[in-house]
Amino acid sequence: MSNPCPCCQPDILPAARRRGGGRSLARKTADSVAGAITDVLQNEETAARPGLLQRLDPRVKLLTLVLFAVTVSFVHSVWVLLGLVGLTMLLAAVSRVGVASFARKVWASAALLALLIALPSALSYFTPGQAVLSVGPVTLTEPGLMGVATLVTRVAAAAGFALLVIWTMRWSDLLHALSAMRLPDVVVATLAMTQKQILTLLRTVEQIHLARESRTLGRGTNRENRAWVTERMAFVVRKSMKTADDVYDAMLARGFTGAMPSLTHLRLRPRDWVWAAASVALCAAVLYADRIVGPR
Amino acid sequence: MSAAFVLERVGYEYRSGAPTLTAIDLVIDGGQHVAIVGANGTGKSTLLKMLDGLVFPTSGTVTAFGAPLSEDALEDPAFRREFRARVGFVFQEADVQLFCSDALDELAFGPLQLGLPREEVERRVHQVAGQLRVEKLLDRPPYTLSGGEKKRVAIASVLTMQPHVLLLDEPTNALDPRSQVWLLDVLEEWKLEGRTVVMATHDLSAAAESADRIVVLSEDHTIVADGTPETVLAQRDLLLSVNLIHEHTHRHASTAHRHAHAHGPGQDPNLTHGH
Amino acid sequence: MPDIVAMHIPDGYLGPQTYVVMWMVMVPIWVIAARKVKRTLKAKQIPLLALGAAFAFVIMMFNVPVIGGSTGHAVGATLIAIILGPWAAVIAVSIALVIQAGLFGDGGITAIAANCFNMAVVIPFVGYYLYRLICGDAPSSSRRVISSGVAAYVAIVVGAICAGFEFGIQPHIAHAAGGQALYAPYKLSVAVPAMALEHLLFFGVVEAIVTMGVVAALARTEPELLQMMPAAKPLRWLWAVVGVLILLTPIGVLAPGTAWGEWGSDQIQSRLGYVPSGFDKLGGLWKAAMPDYTTPGVSNTMLGYLIAAVVGVALCVGIAWGAGALLARRRNNDGADPAGTVPPANASG
Repeated sequence: MSNPCPCCQPDILPAARRRGGGRSLARKTADSVAGAITDVLQNEETAARPGLLQRLDPRVKLLTLVLFAVTVSFVHSVWVLLGLVGLTMLLAAVSRVGVASFARKVWASAALLALLIALPSALSYFTPGQAVLSVGPVTLTEPGLMGVATLVTRVAAAAGFALLVIWTMRWSDLLHALSAMRLPDVVVATLAMTQKQILTLLRTVEQIHLARESRTLGRGTNRENRAWVTERMAFVVRKSMKTADDVYDAMLARGFTGAMPSLTHLRLRPRDWVWAAASVALCAAVLYADRIVGPR
Repeated sequence: MSAAFVLERVGYEYRSGAPTLTAIDLVIDGGQHVAIVGANGTGKSTLLKMLDGLVFPTSGTVTAFGAPLSEDALEDPAFRREFRARVGFVFQEADVQLFCSDALDELAFGPLQLGLPREEVERRVHQVAGQLRVEKLLDRPPYTLSGGEKKRVAIASVLTMQPHVLLLDEPTNALDPRSQVWLLDVLEEWKLEGRTVVMATHDLSAAAESADRIVVLSEDHTIVADGTPETVLAQRDLLLSVNLIHEHTHRHASTAHRHAHAHGPGQDPNLTHGH
Repeated sequence: MPDIVAMHIPDGYLGPQTYVVMWMVMVPIWVIAARKVKRTLKAKQIPLLALGAAFAFVIMMFNVPVIGGSTGHAVGATLIAIILGPWAAVIAVSIALVIQAGLFGDGGITAIAANCFNMAVVIPFVGYYLYRLICGDAPSSSRRVISSGVAAYVAIVVGAICAGFEFGIQPHIAHAAGGQALYAPYKLSVAVPAMALEHLLFFGVVEAIVTMGVVAALARTEPELLQMMPAAKPLRWLWAVVGVLILLTPIGVLAPGTAWGEWGSDQIQSRLGYVPSGFDKLGGLWKAAMPDYTTPGVSNTMLGYLIAAVVGVALCVGIAWGAGALLARRRNNDGADPAGTVPPANASG
């Protein structure tokens, strides 16, 4: 026999070890992929908690949160923007999604990035104007700093509302909401299937990278690693196309006619109307306040 | 019992010329439980897909319920609707089959495609969900389900179409022992209900337990045996030659021990060894 | 989720004047793309697009080693356009971006249309047509690989420039009285070169590496995946487009001043008050054959411009073509060209 009987061989895989001094390429990707998968599973969990936003009809929730995000983009005053940031924190607290992790996600990534990108723009070279701080040849201007502050608070507020959408709404509910809002069935069906396939592919990609990690001793040259990475990507492409064929067969086998009707029905309740009215009023008030307080 | 499927001189070749099936003659009667067994690569899955009109032979003919099953025949919407309702296919990987956003939509997909009214669809969904005990899973997205749960939802999604014939591709693959036992129970129920079941598998023990007829495919892509489980499984040399079982030697203390065994979940009662 | 792609615009950087316009631009494009895709892919469009979007998403997550210890991420939109065709790529990449924003919280909600325009429209179309142009009618696999790399590189730089443009116009169109920026703070003269350079020097290279690597791997094992799109009518109309663009180049003559960064010593002198010594030394070294885009001997500036444009385009295309042909010949001599000539017709599912 050419192959030894696998059931009679021991099955031991060495545990993937963390290397000292920087992660290997495979480890980096495996970690970020694992992080992404965990994020999605976590969303399901936070979306099931008994908080304020979770109890709302998905259409109303989506529309009002998008309304807030749009309002954020019209506000000019840093102070009003800070107020909106506060609102996102309040909503996060009331929806029991964990204010600490919410704040961390908003400030430690989105806002921090904005700060890093925008800070140089406070220099007089980029934004000329009244000087505020001078250190040697470097001068920070007042309009420059205000611009940075505006951007950072705006980004924080916008990221906050977007995060609230994701953390308080299950993906399937989001799709039902989009479908109820007359988005074509084919689009909704494709979104549903894509999300599912992404998760499956992510798991595969994670396994691929962990397997490589557990078998590799050295770092490998850049050329070798590049070849390996592009080969894995080609594998993902091949697998995807094969899966598309299989899924198509499965759809045909269940009598797929080309249309994608759905069974669930969404209903609006009094609390949805209350919330919608309150949101619209709040946004109007915010814009009015901005007119008065904000820079023109 | 009238014939459900008749395959005459059926062959299938890939475009590159590599054969997958060669000169298959097979008749499956209504109400039968058939297991098509063969090592990997013998063409079992392709044969099963041909029975469901997902793949069409490059030579020979396939007839289903007295009418020819061809690409042209399935173009007719009325025939297609009736055929799809009558024949259900459970794929090897449940993941391939679960493409809706939650299990409820999954179970409703088939009946909705058939154009049934909503109340009827809901009735069927809840009835089947109760039968397979997946009611609690209905509002969950498929990626949060375990392997066994996914399989149950996949089978449920086929049963809501109330098929007379069930085609299963490697059903016991990737199932934990408890789920396998459950599956064999379900197959028993279907036998009692008079449904036709055709199962493609390399798991000889599952085949032996549930099927009343075993068809063996060789690595030359032809049928080499066709009969009751007892008769087929007794032909050890034949099974060896088609790579469904292999000889394996291990030692007990100072004695070397040679016996034949099969791979696949579960013990095969017919293939125990003696000293 | 780590910051995946350098071109991704989060919420807050673009004002409503910009993002609303992008939504108005994208909605008709999506509708047209959906119609085209439905016509060509038919019932199979759902699984094909879903899987296309899925691998688009997943490919963005790979760390690709570039040089030294640095790694980058690719967008892969040109690759998808090569495999699925540009219209399907519009939908697939859009879906991947929507899921990135809506499920993983990467990239903004209001900015979705702008991101889709840059990455799901500009890159696939520029990449696809450049690929087809350089490939010609019956390309060998090595020709495909080279053209895919060039196409991917150019496409992502163009996409990045579009993103840079969207960033850069913010301070021009929306600022408070004191000059304070309300959205993205860098002007066009900073944003566009920054985005362009970043992609010319780094992310474009990553993109080319990834696209060429995957196309090469697929050409080896499943060449039919690269031929899923039926061989379209000859791209002669593309030459017409290039021709029109050439004719339009003299518009540059109308723009006053000199393009940013393209100053001669005299302009540096007037701007800075002096000319850096290195600039002075090297400035006169290369005596261009066609200085300042004029044709020596032709006094009419317009005509000179046109001739220079034609010569320039001819040189670029010629070099690309020649490189492809040379490499193809070398590969054939080595006998390492398993895909050989393109077999006819598209593979069915």
